Amino acid sequence: MIILKDIERYYSNGAQRTWVLRKINFTVKKGEFVTIMGPSGSGKSTLLNIIGMLDKPDSGEYFFLDEPVHNFNEKRRTELHKHTIGFVFQAYHLIDELNVYENIEMPLLYRGVSKSERQSMVADMLDRFNIVGKKDLFPSQLSGGQQQLVGIARAIVAKPKLLLADEPTGNLHTSQGEMTMDLLRTLHGEGMTVIQVTHNEKFAAYGTRVIQIEDGFVRSDSNV
Amino acid sequence: MFKNNLKIAFRSLFKHKRIAVINVAGLAIGIATCLVIMLFVQHELSYDRFNEKADRIVRVIFDSQVQGEKMNEETVMPPVAQALKSEFPEVEEATRMRYTGTQVIEKDGDLFRDFKVAYADANFFDVFTLPLLEGDAKTVLTQPNMAVISRTVAEKLYGKTDPIGQTISFKHWDKPFRIVGIMEDVPVTSHFDVDIFTSMASLPEAQNATWMQSNFYTYLVLRKNADYQQLETKLSGIIDKYMGPELKEGLGMSIADFRAQGNDLNMKLQPLTSIHLHTPAGMKTDLNPPGDVRYVYIFMAVAIFMLLIACINFMNLSTAGSSKRAKEVGIRKVLGSAKGELLRQFLLESMLMAFISLLLGVVLATFALPLFNQLADQKLSFNYLTEPWLLPSLLLFGVFTGLLAGSYPAFFMSAFQPKKVLKGQTTNGTGGIGLRNGLVVFQFCLSITLMVCTGVVWRQLNFIQHSKLGYDTDAVLIVPNAWALGENENAFRQAVQQDARVLSVSNSGYIPAGPSWDNNMFFATDLAPDQTIKTLRYDVDEQYIPTLGMKLAEGRNFSKENGADSSKVIINEAAAKAFDWQDGALGHSILTSFKKNDLRKQYEVIGVIQDFHFKSLHEQISPLVMTLRQTRGDIIMKVNMADAAGLLSTLEGNWKKMTAGEPFEYSFLDERVYNTYRTERRTGIVLGIFAGLTIFVACLGLLGLAIFTASQRTKEIGIRKVLGASVTGIVGLLSKDFLKLVVLSLVIASPVAYFLMDKWLQDFAYRIKVGWVVFVVVGLAAVVVATFTVSIQSIKAALANPVKSLRSE
Repeated sequence: MIILKDIERYYSNGAQRTWVLRKINFTVKKGEFVTIMGPSGSGKSTLLNIIGMLDKPDSGEYFFLDEPVHNFNEKRRTELHKHTIGFVFQAYHLIDELNVYENIEMPLLYRGVSKSERQSMVADMLDRFNIVGKKDLFPSQLSGGQQQLVGIARAIVAKPKLLLADEPTGNLHTSQGEMTMDLLRTLHGEGMTVIQVTHNEKFAAYGTRVIQIEDGFVRSDSNV
Repeated sequence: MFKNNLKIAFRSLFKHKRIAVINVAGLAIGIATCLVIMLFVQHELSYDRFNEKADRIVRVIFDSQVQGEKMNEETVMPPVAQALKSEFPEVEEATRMRYTGTQVIEKDGDLFRDFKVAYADANFFDVFTLPLLEGDAKTVLTQPNMAVISRTVAEKLYGKTDPIGQTISFKHWDKPFRIVGIMEDVPVTSHFDVDIFTSMASLPEAQNATWMQSNFYTYLVLRKNADYQQLETKLSGIIDKYMGPELKEGLGMSIADFRAQGNDLNMKLQPLTSIHLHTPAGMKTDLNPPGDVRYVYIFMAVAIFMLLIACINFMNLSTAGSSKRAKEVGIRKVLGSAKGELLRQFLLESMLMAFISLLLGVVLATFALPLFNQLADQKLSFNYLTEPWLLPSLLLFGVFTGLLAGSYPAFFMSAFQPKKVLKGQTTNGTGGIGLRNGLVVFQFCLSITLMVCTGVVWRQLNFIQHSKLGYDTDAVLIVPNAWALGENENAFRQAVQQDARVLSVSNSGYIPAGPSWDNNMFFATDLAPDQTIKTLRYDVDEQYIPTLGMKLAEGRNFSKENGADSSKVIINEAAAKAFDWQDGALGHSILTSFKKNDLRKQYEVIGVIQDFHFKSLHEQISPLVMTLRQTRGDIIMKVNMADAAGLLSTLEGNWKKMTAGEPFEYSFLDERVYNTYRTERRTGIVLGIFAGLTIFVACLGLLGLAIFTASQRTKEIGIRKVLGASVTGIVGLLSKDFLKLVVLSLVIASPVAYFLMDKWLQDFAYRIKVGWVVFVVVGLAAVVVATFTVSIQSIKAALANPVKSLRSE
């Protein structure tokens, strides 16, 4: 599903280059649950952004579903990512001005889904996550765990092929974190490809494969 | 999607209420100002365009230069129309109008006043598009003693009965007129305003073949594709051919010789549509007062400035507050929004803001319009029904404002990169700070320029008010139209003289301010009888100089006892200088310019009067000659103001008795002087209001920016306070940056304003220097207002408890 070949990312500081990612090579198959781990500043978020097409590598090749993403312009990348990828964030990143229902509905709007279809898809999500009663509340009225629940619902409502989660439990209490991870595992069990970034060893164990990154290099890559 | 965007737009509006209020208030004021001014400009530009042949009609005007002085008349000689039509094939039609001013109508023993009456040629309705409700446009004015009245006159005089066939009589006119047509009222956007047209065939003067007297408004319809400028070049030939012989008889000089002396007699053509705004300065008109294209430009500039300032507020507040929206942009992009969709979303928001403001602005403008009408002496109205262009142009205007204000912020914000903003890496609103500062400087430059202009206009007006005019303006009462007294004039004057409340009385039609007779006369000195000099001639009586409190520089006043004074003159200092006697004026004499010796009169100079301003301060004092002569113009009285009301009622009683009911009118000289500068005063007031509004809107923007700055620097302020900073120190810290901008604006705006006002002042022969005082006052005012605005917010921020602001981090 994902093929990364010699991905490199750096910042130029005059003549000097500060490397963020160096010679990243790995592939992810459909249905995997990959955890990317590493210390702060090791480049794991940048890697996730590149996979999520929010960022471009400075060199190297990136094939997503056999499409050469590294050759795409911004418009084509946006088009591809909006139809195939869902995001979950550490800080939830819900839109404050929209209520729960509208937040979940948002990606469907960008995909041009018809109104009746949107209604049933959002209703499914609300049902599934048991938040029907909260659909009219605004993010500020929810707890962190509930916000992340909405965040995940929003990420998967459009049935993406790949779910990216950037420290999804970072801002949560342990119990809420476990709940969130259970949810990701369930989704994986249903066939979703998931890539998460985390610091937490315990939550790393929810996945099927752990990639360790340090100073921009892949240090280890092993199945759990 | 649209609905969703709209929802977000509304909700974010409500969430940032303060900023939204600032934005909407500023934009609404800008839009309201713009609307009022656009109405005014549209009105000014639409003059005479209602005529179907508007672009083919030209007016013939008299344009001469005699002894270095321009002599412009908007009327020409009676035979001009016919001559031009027969001489030039490109003239399709020529028509004349002889304006008679306002007349009184007598009907069934009652008097009706204030009807504007003009004689018009038979083809007048063919040239001008003035639809007739009754009567045939081709024939109504063909016969003598025919009249066409306007719809309003018909309603006023005849109510529901049919006026056609009725006779109408004007007081003081010998023959009655038969009403043969009713026309729609002449549109307000016409350069002439006439209630009743009478047939030219009734006026013997119209058949007069003289080329020495010009009273006729003359209009030509040119054939399609005819070039009026080309025709204009051929007009001097017509003057030579027709006027030459008559001139030779009068002046004893051929027209070629007359021209060789540096004089010129000529006619020019003025396109109908440029009469209102482009009539040459100094050309007097009896018709509707012309507009001034310069004021149209000034107001247009002000309208654009206002809108720009308001839109800049929106841009600045949007980009300054963009950090609050950055996260949303990031999320939307991650969820699959393309840049274009975000652009559309933000533009929708600015459109929404623009339309809310537009709505409010229209309401504001509707309320402000009567005030503007009063200040600017206009009759503008919002009329959505009769002006079909208004509604669509309002909508367009809304879209335009939305785009103007919203484009930059939309591009700015939709370009945020999600990977950065979602990490919280943004730019705490520091993005675009250079541009933001630049825009603030631009706003303040505009406001300061306007403020300086206002200041200079007011100082010049003040200078006019306090400059010595050379005559008394206090307690001088003027009763016009003394001719209406007829035989009773002496009796009236005697009654006035015996009244203890009247200190002295004079009788003359020549008044140095306000409506006055006007008589140009050429004189030569005894030393150089061939060199004539153009002067203004005042016919006065012996009481004129004392009544108006004028001062003799040398010599004596006219005297009643001395019967021979009818061949004496008193001249002003400017005339003494122009006649240029080396040994003083007294004892010398001046000659009228007629060459035939029996017609040439000689006057001896018995006095020189100190120069006084008989024209407005726009013009230099020119040579003036006073002769002793009975006139029936105005009765001028120096009065005791203690019982002015009582005096006026006594006068009115006498007047009514002695004139058989003529309307009694009066004015005071100081009012007439005051009214001379109405245009300038109006400009001063209107500019002042606009200057106030621009600075207000600019300060609104500053307030908004101060709110953002304070909120972005909350943490910094907290830390500084914990480290021991004082409240004043922090207020200074927060205000300093804004004040720098205001001072910079002052530096940039000052030379611009200086240049503009220096130009404006050139229009006055007697004027102030622009001076530095205005700049200091305006600069201080701007700094004080800006400081006050910014401190509202910064004091609040400085007083906040640091523990709180630091904990939230």
